[in-house]
Amino acid sequence: MTTIDVGVVPVPHREAPSRETYLNVAYTVKSWALTTDHKRIGILYLVTTTFALLLGGVFALVLRTEHLTPDQTIIDAYTYNRMFTMHGIVMVWLFMIPSIPTAFGNFLLPMMIGAKDVAFPRLNLASYYIYVAGVVWVIVALWMGGADTGWTFYAPYSAHSPSAVVPTVFGIFILGWSTIITGVNFIVTTHTMRAKGVTWFRMPLFVWAMYGVSIIQTLATPVLAISLLIVGIDHWFDWGLFDPHRGGDPVLYQHLFWFYSHPAVYIMILPAMGVISEVVPTFSHKNPASYKAIAYSTLGIAFVGFGTWGHHMFVAGISLFDAAAFGVLSMLVAIFSAIKVFTWVLTMRRGSVAVATPMIYFFAFLFLFVFGGMTGVAVATQSLDVHWHDTYFVVAHFHFIMVGGTLTAWLAALHYWFPKITGRMYPERWGIVAGTIVFAGFFMTFFPQFLLGNGGMARRYYYYDPVYQPLHVVSTVGAWLLGAAMLLTLCYLLVACFTGPPAGANPWDSRSYEWYTPSPPPKHNFPAEPVFELDPYDYTVPFPGELKAGGEQAPQEAPHA
Amino acid sequence: MPEQVAEQFEDLEKQAHAARLGMWVFLGSEVLFFSGLFALYTGYRTEHPYGFGVGVEHNTIAWGSVNTGVLLVSSYTVAMAVHMLRRGRNTASALLLGATIFLGLVFLGIKTGEYLKHFSDGIYPGGWGHFFEEHGDPGTKMFFTLYYCMTGLHAIHVFAGMCVLSLLLWKVLRRDIGAWAPHPLAIGAVYWHLVDMIWIFLWPLFYLIPGASQS
Amino acid sequence: MSARAEPEAAAQHAEEGPSPRALTYTLIALLVLAGLSLALRFAHLGGFSFLAALLIAVIKASLVAVVFMEFLHEKPTVRFAFATGLSLFALLVVLLVADVLTRTIPPLSNPPGTAQRYHG
Repeated sequence: MTTIDVGVVPVPHREAPSRETYLNVAYTVKSWALTTDHKRIGILYLVTTTFALLLGGVFALVLRTEHLTPDQTIIDAYTYNRMFTMHGIVMVWLFMIPSIPTAFGNFLLPMMIGAKDVAFPRLNLASYYIYVAGVVWVIVALWMGGADTGWTFYAPYSAHSPSAVVPTVFGIFILGWSTIITGVNFIVTTHTMRAKGVTWFRMPLFVWAMYGVSIIQTLATPVLAISLLIVGIDHWFDWGLFDPHRGGDPVLYQHLFWFYSHPAVYIMILPAMGVISEVVPTFSHKNPASYKAIAYSTLGIAFVGFGTWGHHMFVAGISLFDAAAFGVLSMLVAIFSAIKVFTWVLTMRRGSVAVATPMIYFFAFLFLFVFGGMTGVAVATQSLDVHWHDTYFVVAHFHFIMVGGTLTAWLAALHYWFPKITGRMYPERWGIVAGTIVFAGFFMTFFPQFLLGNGGMARRYYYYDPVYQPLHVVSTVGAWLLGAAMLLTLCYLLVACFTGPPAGANPWDSRSYEWYTPSPPPKHNFPAEPVFELDPYDYTVPFPGELKAGGEQAPQEAPHA
Repeated sequence: MPEQVAEQFEDLEKQAHAARLGMWVFLGSEVLFFSGLFALYTGYRTEHPYGFGVGVEHNTIAWGSVNTGVLLVSSYTVAMAVHMLRRGRNTASALLLGATIFLGLVFLGIKTGEYLKHFSDGIYPGGWGHFFEEHGDPGTKMFFTLYYCMTGLHAIHVFAGMCVLSLLLWKVLRRDIGAWAPHPLAIGAVYWHLVDMIWIFLWPLFYLIPGASQS
Repeated sequence: MSARAEPEAAAQHAEEGPSPRALTYTLIALLVLAGLSLALRFAHLGGFSFLAALLIAVIKASLVAVVFMEFLHEKPTVRFAFATGLSLFALLVVLLVADVLTRTIPPLSNPPGTAQRYHG
């Protein structure tokens, strides 16, 4: 039996007016800038990464607008080269990699395991400022004209490009250390800070995702750091580490780069999967079809993801033996991803599915992720990759995963935890409308690119054959639609921050541990030392009620009853 | 300020375990930081066995070997410093720490001397310098570029380790840490040992393993 | 929760660690192994010199890890964390070298006379 209730208006909660929360504990700038509260650091990250998303989004819109005509439309070729590079750099390193782990991971991870804070709060604040320093460097690089090498910095061109390569790679190098510190912090927090009752297999699935992603962050990012350091040194001092004339081998650069950058794809998608694993049980009002399948496949993706990097290099001159090995290993990741997809779908079966904005984004995620994932398996096949390599087909494929997967999950998380973060509800109808437009705009932008790529349109080209123009125009219009929907979302969420109706501790009637505490949470997350007796997905009994000071739990009426 | 339990932890033991785990995860990260260069070394040595052999022949084996001894002994002194601190002998611990930092300085001094000698021989990173006019094999150029990159990065880590140990020395002298809370020094020492461990591998790669005899 | 743990209670929890005697013997073993490695440098082992030198280095690193770093006394989580790092290191080196070794085309190099370099 499936019930659909659109536009849930939760019962306004009886709120003690003077309750201290992490938001009203202090209002000074210093109390935000020097905070060690993981929730405030999460908010700082959320604001900064959203700014990065806006910046990268503007680049994307300019690039799409440029492609309205086969020749020059609004920018010249050199600007185009630098802009697609900076679009990739901003979107990957400033937005997508930190977005969910640093904003929502910081905010939620300690709460989900019943801890007061992360293991190293001051290090956590330091990682934010290192991130900001990296952002500043990248913006300085932009101001100096930006790099034109593509976000991959392939040698040997990156050693001699006339653009601002050195400040760009230096900025990313700094960002990498922020990522590593956050990863170390999360791993240690998950191991040592779990409250009574939170065993490994009773952690909310989002915590598993954060744990898996932290492993990748700490172990893959240093390889990126060293390869970018080499690129910077090569460009600055001309040491020729990848110069064939001096014994270098450019393909080895690609090995190092993709040893990081393929796992980085899982840094982007694993947190998204974690969000989805929270959203689906809550809005299906049912436990996940298999908790352990999702938890283990998270670790499976994290580890197997390290052995697949070579599928980016099939046509770069790697040996047939290596290409075959990487092709097989790449297929393995698809198995783990498929396990997750089937588990989510099975979770909805016999559940009582409520259609709210996070669920709209889940449906979008499901469709786009499966579509993107299947085309990924196709391009990991060597014979097909020879045809599709460096075409719009690949561009469409990874945008389906990154935008269709990560961005929709990020939006789902933004709506799902909005009541917990702000203590207020967002407007449900606006959310559903904007979510639908995001999906439509996205599909319109990137589906034509599959056709373009298959038809032979190479990526990163400035001029193109006029036969491709109709599909390019469709894609550009879709991008505008997507941009408009994102702006709409930003507007109503900002308004709802201040005017939304109070949400209460648990507006979604979830069982996950972060909903036990009032919204917005007090400074130390829980009014009393929490002891969790229920599983985070046990929907067989009513919600025991939010935790009050003194430790007793007060039942509240469930909106979804 | 004596070592205190931070508010997010229940007791000092849990806090110590968290700090140790954090350090070891970070060491895993450090290993992969070096792994990129080690992988390049192995790949390039496979491609240019002869040129790399020429490079090994021209490296100053005596200085590299002395440096190996210096670092091994420094690892021993820092391990002894941890032992003494656990026994509550802060002064002995401080002396051993001082010795460790001094040995680190000796290591960096010898390393600097080696670099200067290479420069005077006309060996600069990137295959620049008159040395490569006689030894034009691309592998030899790559050998010395990697030599500067890897030993240079290692030297930066030695310096970082010395900074960490100096901070801990100060804490030992002020009795901020002692037998009741020896873990900050134990964790710092683990970092120093990793730096030693990396040199254990750099030494044979750059000084010991001769190359193929024919080009 | 106390602001500061009782010194006696915490001292009981503190690990004893290896004895000074064990530390000294380890240092001697390390120096002997280093000497052996140095001697092998002049022994003309041909293709085996790479293996021999690396084997000795691995033994030395293991000694440092086990005795000096007290690796085996750490909790399983700690050992797992570091072992994961090492195995990924191995994965990177193995698959990268496998590529170089199994290429059927010669290593990349500029044809003679074409090595003009672009200085931007």
